Amino acid sequence: MQAIPSEERAAHEELQPIHHEPKSFFFKYLWSLDHKMIGRQFLWAGLGFLLVGGLLAMMIRWQWAFPGKPVPVLGSIFLRSQGGAIGPATYMTIFTMHGLIMIFFAITPVLIGAFGNFLLPLQIGARDMAFPWLNALSFWTFALSLVFVILSLFGELGAAGAGWTTYPPLSTNVGTPGSGQTWMVAAVFVTGVSTIMGGINYVTTVIRHRAPGMTWMRLPLATWGLWLTAILNVLFVPVLGSAALLLLLDRLFGTQFFIAGATASVSGGGDPILFQHLFWIFGHPEVYILILPAWGIVSDLLSFFSRKPANWYRGTVYAMIAVCVLSAMVYGHHMFLTGFTPLLGQSFMLLTLIISVPAELLFLNWLRTVWQGSIRLTTPMLFSLGMLFVFGMGGLTGLYLGATATDIYLHDTMFVVGHFHLTMAAASFVASLAAIYFWFPKMFGRRMNETLGKVHFWITLVCLVTVFSGQLLAGYSGQSRRLYDPYQYTFLKHLLGVNRVASYAAFLLLFAQFIFIYNFIRSLIAGEKAESNPWQVSTLEWFTASPPPYHNYDRIPTVLRGPHEFADPEVRRRLGRDFIGQAEELPEAMPPAVASAG
Amino acid sequence: MIGAEAMSVIRYRPRGAREQATAWIGMVIFLGSWAMMFAALFFSYGMLRARLPVWPPPGTPPLPRLLPGINTLIIGLSSVAMQRGLSAARRAQAAAVLPAIAAGFLLGLAFLSLQFVLWTGLWRAGLRPEGGAYPSVFYGLTAIHAIHVAVGLGGLGWLLTRAFFHAFGPARNLGLRLWTGYWHFVGAVWLLMYLTVFLI
Repeated sequence: MQAIPSEERAAHEELQPIHHEPKSFFFKYLWSLDHKMIGRQFLWAGLGFLLVGGLLAMMIRWQWAFPGKPVPVLGSIFLRSQGGAIGPATYMTIFTMHGLIMIFFAITPVLIGAFGNFLLPLQIGARDMAFPWLNALSFWTFALSLVFVILSLFGELGAAGAGWTTYPPLSTNVGTPGSGQTWMVAAVFVTGVSTIMGGINYVTTVIRHRAPGMTWMRLPLATWGLWLTAILNVLFVPVLGSAALLLLLDRLFGTQFFIAGATASVSGGGDPILFQHLFWIFGHPEVYILILPAWGIVSDLLSFFSRKPANWYRGTVYAMIAVCVLSAMVYGHHMFLTGFTPLLGQSFMLLTLIISVPAELLFLNWLRTVWQGSIRLTTPMLFSLGMLFVFGMGGLTGLYLGATATDIYLHDTMFVVGHFHLTMAAASFVASLAAIYFWFPKMFGRRMNETLGKVHFWITLVCLVTVFSGQLLAGYSGQSRRLYDPYQYTFLKHLLGVNRVASYAAFLLLFAQFIFIYNFIRSLIAGEKAESNPWQVSTLEWFTASPPPYHNYDRIPTVLRGPHEFADPEVRRRLGRDFIGQAEELPEAMPPAVASAG
Repeated sequence: MIGAEAMSVIRYRPRGAREQATAWIGMVIFLGSWAMMFAALFFSYGMLRARLPVWPPPGTPPLPRLLPGINTLIIGLSSVAMQRGLSAARRAQAAAVLPAIAAGFLLGLAFLSLQFVLWTGLWRAGLRPEGGAYPSVFYGLTAIHAIHVAVGLGGLGWLLTRAFFHAFGPARNLGLRLWTGYWHFVGAVWLLMYLTVFLI
């Protein structure tokens, strides 16, 4: 081992951005520069809107199970003017707001905003983000977009109703007049700006603020996932921003980028398909934006709780990089039915199916990490394994949609809905829960109740699989997505049973989340105090106090080894335990031969 | 396990230099990101244009080439001025910094004013945003670009007040460097816009 000269260590220490610990309420809890507090702000905002999005989902499920019947509880509060039942126009706004809220205002802030902020500096051994002020601005820009979402919910003529994809011409003034849609498009633009600010910060921080010895191939896989996500965000969210800007110009200033046909001017309007291109150039990387942090987190957790190093760490990293690169080249598979040439369609199909190679590699690595491990079935581990299961289902059903031949039949059916819910709503959601259960002690200094966590896990997993399998089945039988009342079609009448079972599972799923909320709040107030490393793992953040002090580390750690140091016989001999921290020195001086072999 | 290759590459420069490099990297990442936004706008333009049989559509006034051409020169000169200001600050020629930034700022103002002349002229000639894809592209792209110029002018104005108090020197020019980078970016986008929207 080549020692790092002490003056260089000192220089690095000095260069870390440390701002003085604030004393006033405003600077401590609102305009906080501390990445840990900003992470918690994102967590609260994201979880709050996750509940809003979840309640909207319940109303959709109610409509599919009991079309036109008054919604219990929620109906009497929010739909009083319609006698508690969901009307067709309201139904449109409900599924639109559900999708947009879940993607941009729930999963993104929880996975990327909360865990990105909280974990990145801690896991690379830094004192804070590279640009703390920009980080705070990113959260408050996000908060502004939340205001826009709320304004949209109370907009004249109802909230946004053009689907989460916001395709024109439905999303232009011709299809959806009213301020609700405008506010929502603006909200997506503003939250995009916030995401870009965060992304710039994450990318720069990992490049510049890694602790001495924290080489790229020693980064925890969660950090890799979050960092690659940040790169995708920085590159592709601006494209969505551009689409949103042009749509806003069309809605507010009368331009005709997306308006065509009878409503366009004589000299020829724009092109609605253009929006689909812009949307999916962003949209396909976006689905990896939502799953890459989950992959990274789960890769780490599987290793931690199998008490084994992650299988072929570099392979996992390369596979994630390959997925990032490929994700930029496959967006056309969302548009097989827009009439572009079959040659283009087949190219997109080929590139799409190639993604399954790195994805397969990730999967094999996860399975081989668990294989013959000393598995500890803690709540985070259960959720990680559950993520493998639902992501496997989501990935395999994706093959049907990536291939043109099957996609032409399945396009815009509930099969698509089931597929992307299994990846984004099930896999990302389950991984978020794994992350919350795992890092809760580090974030709040207390432990969550394991028994309640396990009950939560089993109900959640079974219900998620039932709900989304029901969607796959209904879609395979021909039920189109977004139908207000599918049973008006004779050939769909027999699907009422499947949809009802899925709806009951969804209601039970909501109930299970109240177990989680109870557990979360109770643990926050009265949970067992957590020591610094309750899970006995090796990454840096577990070697500082729980919760970490304001400056994270009293001394910037010098990293000596990779993130998954488990089951090393030499470590067991000298320390008497099966793990050693990334920056922990072995008690006796090691002979060089052992060091290079270890 | 210990990667000797990585240990040897950790080299630190003096404090200020490293922090400035970090800020510069952040700026480059931001500009790369925002370039994607403009790339999407140019993509939209290309696609809309490819869809129409004739461009410009018959009956619409053609876009002028001279006025925006002059404007391209103006914003280019403005970029040169800012770069001169930056190198003057780096070489500690304090007296040359303020005039250079002032020239950059005034040329930027001239650019925006000429853009305004361009818009009003075409508006009077009957080119309206409601007129279809062609005027949408023209007004949309130039307006979004002009907003970026306006933001840049805000930054340049701030630099100007700081330069007035002799704030920039060889070691202290980060703000000048970052805003100059942004200004070059805005100028480069305009050059592309001139070449694609106006010339071809």
